[in-house]
Amino acid sequence: MTTVTEAVAASAAGLVPAGPVAPGLVTTSMAPTEAAASALAAYCSQRIFRPGPEVLIEGNPFRRPIGPPGAGDRDFSVPATEAEFLGSGQLIAGRVLCNAYESDMILLPPAGLASAKDDFEVFYGDEVRALRDAVRPGLERYAYSFLDDAVTVPPVRTLEELQAYFLAEVGGAGAPADASGSNPAVDPAAEVTGTMRMITECRRPEEAAALHLIQLALDALTEASAMARNLGGSYGVEQSELFKIFNDEFGYGVYGAKHSTIFKEMLASVGLRTDVHAYWNFYLTSSLVGVNYFNWLTEDHRGMFRYMAAVTYLEWLFAQGFADTGAMLRAVYGDRVDAKYCDEHAHIDVHHGRMTYENLLLGLARTHGELVIPELVRGIEDTKLLLRLGDADFRAQIDWADALDRHTEAGAALATSAADDAATSTLRPDSPFSTGVYDSDRLVEVTSGEADVYAWATDHPHRLGTGDVLLVPRGRLHGLKAASPEARVTVRTVERTSR
Amino acid sequence: MARVIVMDLSRHNTVMIGHDRYFVLHEGERSVLVRDHCPHRGGPLSLARRTPDGRRLSCPWHGTKVGVSAVKRSCLPMVRSGDEAVVVLPETGVPVSVIHKEILANLPPDPTHDEGAESR
Ligand code: FES
Repeated sequence: MTTVTEAVAASAAGLVPAGPVAPGLVTTSMAPTEAAASALAAYCSQRIFRPGPEVLIEGNPFRRPIGPPGAGDRDFSVPATEAEFLGSGQLIAGRVLCNAYESDMILLPPAGLASAKDDFEVFYGDEVRALRDAVRPGLERYAYSFLDDAVTVPPVRTLEELQAYFLAEVGGAGAPADASGSNPAVDPAAEVTGTMRMITECRRPEEAAALHLIQLALDALTEASAMARNLGGSYGVEQSELFKIFNDEFGYGVYGAKHSTIFKEMLASVGLRTDVHAYWNFYLTSSLVGVNYFNWLTEDHRGMFRYMAAVTYLEWLFAQGFADTGAMLRAVYGDRVDAKYCDEHAHIDVHHGRMTYENLLLGLARTHGELVIPELVRGIEDTKLLLRLGDADFRAQIDWADALDRHTEAGAALATSAADDAATSTLRPDSPFSTGVYDSDRLVEVTSGEADVYAWATDHPHRLGTGDVLLVPRGRLHGLKAASPEARVTVRTVERTSR
Repeated sequence: MARVIVMDLSRHNTVMIGHDRYFVLHEGERSVLVRDHCPHRGGPLSLARRTPDGRRLSCPWHGTKVGVSAVKRSCLPMVRSGDEAVVVLPETGVPVSVIHKEILANLPPDPTHDEGAESR
């Protein structure tokens, strides 16, 4: 059977031929003004958003390094294109937007407020909120405008067309409806394929699986918080239907059954940190953009139709998708993994797929008609693209992180062809640590001392000694930490003819 | 020693026994005091509607159809005379209260109910 991720990547099951882009109800906002640009610089220079020496950020949900000094001085006035999806601009914008959206959620440190009271005051304080509101519209335009160009919305207009379109889409993505037109029960014995299989087959499957769990953690540790923004107000029967799903996500008010709680148990069972954003440095650009997309659509209520459709599509695919994830985790970690979270979703998302399809997607289409149907379709098309881009990003990161030794050999071979644009820095063990991506291929050379490379969250980073040259492909997340009292590092651009 | 309460069915249709809720389900001439708890995930069966054949309750949470006969098996012993009902409660020390709630499960079958969509 085709996996959901794989099938989503390949899905081209549009029932009707592609037509012109339909005007949406939600649009990306205005270009950033000069005032917004200086607000961004001020935002990024806040103490809680500057990197410290730590690789993992433990016990403090308010510490969210955006990047090295100067990250906030960047020009975000020209939206990123699809080709720039994995670029440094999207990573920085993604981190700022994640902070912005989550500053209207309640987050508290696990050891009690006293452990981070000052940072709590800054994170939720007047100044940061004012700066956040100034920078957000421009960054949303920068981050999401590419969807307007990259996504073609098929001309689905009527309820019947929407039904046929949706069922063809989920069928094409490997999760066809059963005979009654519902989301079928999952096949727990399905062979693990696609990205889940790639994880099991790489050289360090536990680290690769952990990287996957970390990407999920970005959303799962605050699971359904974006959904919560769509619960208030008064909009008819669909509101109550969404609440039922929310009720499941929140474990019917029982903390032990809350999805974020069982997600934490899964993390803990394989030795991963459970605090919100402990792995902040290891969220891939695509993961940030993907999760931010849902926060954007729930923050800007014009996005609610797109959101409801996106949720419908995901809930439908998650049933089998999480069964596959559970199988992967058991293959990698054996009996020690507590995969109840995956089992829970493999079960309840069968219901949620059906409930969202019948009651949200079709319900909203019935009530609001052809005005919103193109917007509903757009939510599904956006989600398909974001899933495809996210899957490609994750696979590329595994390829790179799992083969840093080979990238060091490749770096040595390319050393003579690097450009003459060396930027040199000196690292010490307590230097600020931050991960980032380059917009083009680079060679990182250690000219004195030793440095550790983190390309995934590992206790065994890749050590570079004096004279080692590492090839860092464009878009690949990494961070460097001195492994000797001082390490000098030179970074140069390199052109590669083959990849 | 068993605990016994007397309910006035003209005023009350629900009993809270600690966190467990029981409601009066009408079955023809008979009334039974059944647990307000869907076997799937505890959805409130008092808010379920009957399927068109009247023999099952369609849970409002995820649409599971629960046979009325199965629901009746969760009932507490109750002897009714007119509006007065004597109920024998399980022996627990938890607080008990009687209240009135809306019970959709006692309405006639839902004519708009789509039998196919939710049957699993
Ligand atoms: S709780 Fe009743 S169907 Fe799920």
